[in-house]
Amino acid sequence: MSAPPATDPAVREQPAAPAVRERRPRSRFLWPALALPGAIWLALLFVAPLYVVLAIVFGGVDPIFRTPVPVWNPVDWNTAQFSDVFRHIVGDDGYFGPALLRTAVYVLSASALCLLIAYPVAYYVARYGGRWRKLVLALLIAPFWISYMMRMLAWVNLLQNDGLVNRSLRLGGLGPLAVDWLDGRGFVVILGLVYGYVPYMILPLYVGLDRLPANVLEAARDLGAGRVATFRRVTLRLSMPAVIAALLLTCLPMLGDYFTSDLLSGSPRTAMVGNLINTTVLTPGQTGQAGAFVLLVLVVALVPMLLYVRSARSEGLSS
Amino acid sequence: MSAGPRGAVVRGLAGGPPEEAGPLPDELPEHRRRSIPRRTFLSRMALLAVGGPATLEALAACAKSPETAGGSGGSATPGTLKIASPSSPVTWPIDKSALIADGLTPEKGATLQLYNYADYIGPKVVKAFEKKYAAHDVKVQVSTFNDTDEALTKIRAGKSGYDIYFPSYDQIAKMVSGKLIRPLNQSYVPNIANVWPEFTDPWYDGEWRYSVPYSVYTTGIGWRADRITDDLGAGANPYDVFWDPAYSRKLALIDDWHTAMAMVALRAGVTDINSTKPKDLEVIRDQMLDMQQKTQPKVTITMYNDLPGGQLDLAQMWSGDVVNSQYYLPKGVGPEVLAYWYPQDGPGMVDNDLMVVLAQGKNPVLAHLFLDFMLDTKNALDNFGYVGYQPPQTSLDAPSMIADGYVPENLGTAIVKQEWFAEGYRLLELPPETDAAWHQVWQQFKAGA
Repeated sequence: MSAPPATDPAVREQPAAPAVRERRPRSRFLWPALALPGAIWLALLFVAPLYVVLAIVFGGVDPIFRTPVPVWNPVDWNTAQFSDVFRHIVGDDGYFGPALLRTAVYVLSASALCLLIAYPVAYYVARYGGRWRKLVLALLIAPFWISYMMRMLAWVNLLQNDGLVNRSLRLGGLGPLAVDWLDGRGFVVILGLVYGYVPYMILPLYVGLDRLPANVLEAARDLGAGRVATFRRVTLRLSMPAVIAALLLTCLPMLGDYFTSDLLSGSPRTAMVGNLINTTVLTPGQTGQAGAFVLLVLVVALVPMLLYVRSARSEGLSS
Repeated sequence: MSAGPRGAVVRGLAGGPPEEAGPLPDELPEHRRRSIPRRTFLSRMALLAVGGPATLEALAACAKSPETAGGSGGSATPGTLKIASPSSPVTWPIDKSALIADGLTPEKGATLQLYNYADYIGPKVVKAFEKKYAAHDVKVQVSTFNDTDEALTKIRAGKSGYDIYFPSYDQIAKMVSGKLIRPLNQSYVPNIANVWPEFTDPWYDGEWRYSVPYSVYTTGIGWRADRITDDLGAGANPYDVFWDPAYSRKLALIDDWHTAMAMVALRAGVTDINSTKPKDLEVIRDQMLDMQQKTQPKVTITMYNDLPGGQLDLAQMWSGDVVNSQYYLPKGVGPEVLAYWYPQDGPGMVDNDLMVVLAQGKNPVLAHLFLDFMLDTKNALDNFGYVGYQPPQTSLDAPSMIADGYVPENLGTAIVKQEWFAEGYRLLELPPETDAAWHQVWQQFKAGA
């Protein structure tokens, strides 16, 4: 997935941007200053909350109300809640293990399905959308006009035993094909995730594919590559950064999703790590454990994030 | 459809919006998301720090600022914790200065703020209260919470100015200790005479110094009589159905650790549903995992929608929710498809919710008047017609509830009888270590291991 684009001959020939580089010394303070709002935003909305989570994970519990008592000084941190969670992930008493494994399977399969659906759609719109491209894009964004929760609730209605989906399946003359969709099935949760997050996948892919330089594609064709070879050796490779960005944009929120499983299944047998967080954070005395899960998700999410940063950097160097 | 007061039109569609301030489409999710249910309340224990004034002060400090109170988590030693239970009733001390004087006139131009579960009070009844005190230009505003733990956290923050709160009996100890609720001036609440007499001296709040009852309910089993033709209540141990693979995936437990685990305990013959014995908990845990293997139940609080809607054949249910289910049936399906079992002649799980006046409210006089208003028989009945949860009104009896259409005849088993409260099982607060151990089993179950 992280095929370094810089090694690709097609990419190496990207025009560099010397003009930008020349200007840099003159504005040593101006440009970093422009990053200030972003830095403040990060500090206020990411670093500070993360510290609160840490203070709660390594903090205590109010003896009467059993609410978490954050401990701000790292010297006094107590790792009991943290190690408690990790003790229950692997080993004999590892009852969190299956849920974590399940999360990985669900998120990976849902992302793969998303990619299978989104890539052709984005490719079609970017390359063959023509004058309809704006309209098609608007239609693709249309689901965003309705909240995710509402769309999932709509699916609950559609997937009910006597819902529209089952009725259509029966009307197709295929006999009693009705499926008990909402009986706590893992594949329904995966399909729900796919449905919910596929627009997040289409948009970055579209942006990436739309920006592909037409002259490079033409050059590939001129030099004798067929349609398939052009796609495989030029389009696909050049769009890799967009694919990674799109995967990140969908995987990360999926990792924290609990609502899809809650609504479309409701069975503990399909619980994801988001559900573990949701149930523990609301349980008196267990809020710190929820924080430990949050940290776990964060660490897992960091890996693809670093991959992305690396690929984005190599792309930046080459352009 | 039901001839009940809300009628077919009001709740005609499964999950559909009722005509008034019921769940509008965008409010529904919140309704569903509640992951610890309204009836939850598991009685958290009446925690009483008997350690004298110093401890009480520490408690008050907790109420104000959790950061300063706990230090590294255990510095405020709670002393001996007292658990209110039917066998050891508690009468809470009163701070006389917090009592309001007799005979005050209601606050003028006030907005009375109620803090309640979603859809747990009838909008018509609220309107009627505004109308009754229209001369004082009174408005009522309902704010909602998902579960009582969340609610208590907000109340402790102290800034919201809620006047009335609808908890279960499990939180009274904490609220009294934290001075979060106001003792009642009972002269404003003559309608207390309308409710079951035990609520004038309940074990969780002797002499009803702080609370009046709001609703009563049982916990039993609801099922679709059109899909399960056996009378589930007729078996030797009706709880066994939750382990019967015949109903696999089509059944649900209430998403509340104590309510669900207590049923498992009763099935296994552990009648102390607040047991502190590790052995009992082990039995419960094994049974829960066994159930997970055999039937893969859902864990939800939307059975009042899912059972009539057909996603479930069978569910652990509160009596109020099964009564409410009749309004969520699809078109053309009558309430006769619903059935409910509760041990009519033996003890089962019974519960009740309360109304209390919060100390932070700006309108204590109106708040008292509202409590009295809700205990009025007619208003209580109107409210029953909306929420489905029975008020403990003395004048209500089973035949009249059925004749007047509040409860369909085939759900007569969901009517709560006064005598059950004498010996029914109560969910009590558990001592902290026991509580943590129970929660751990629940967590394991919920992780789907």
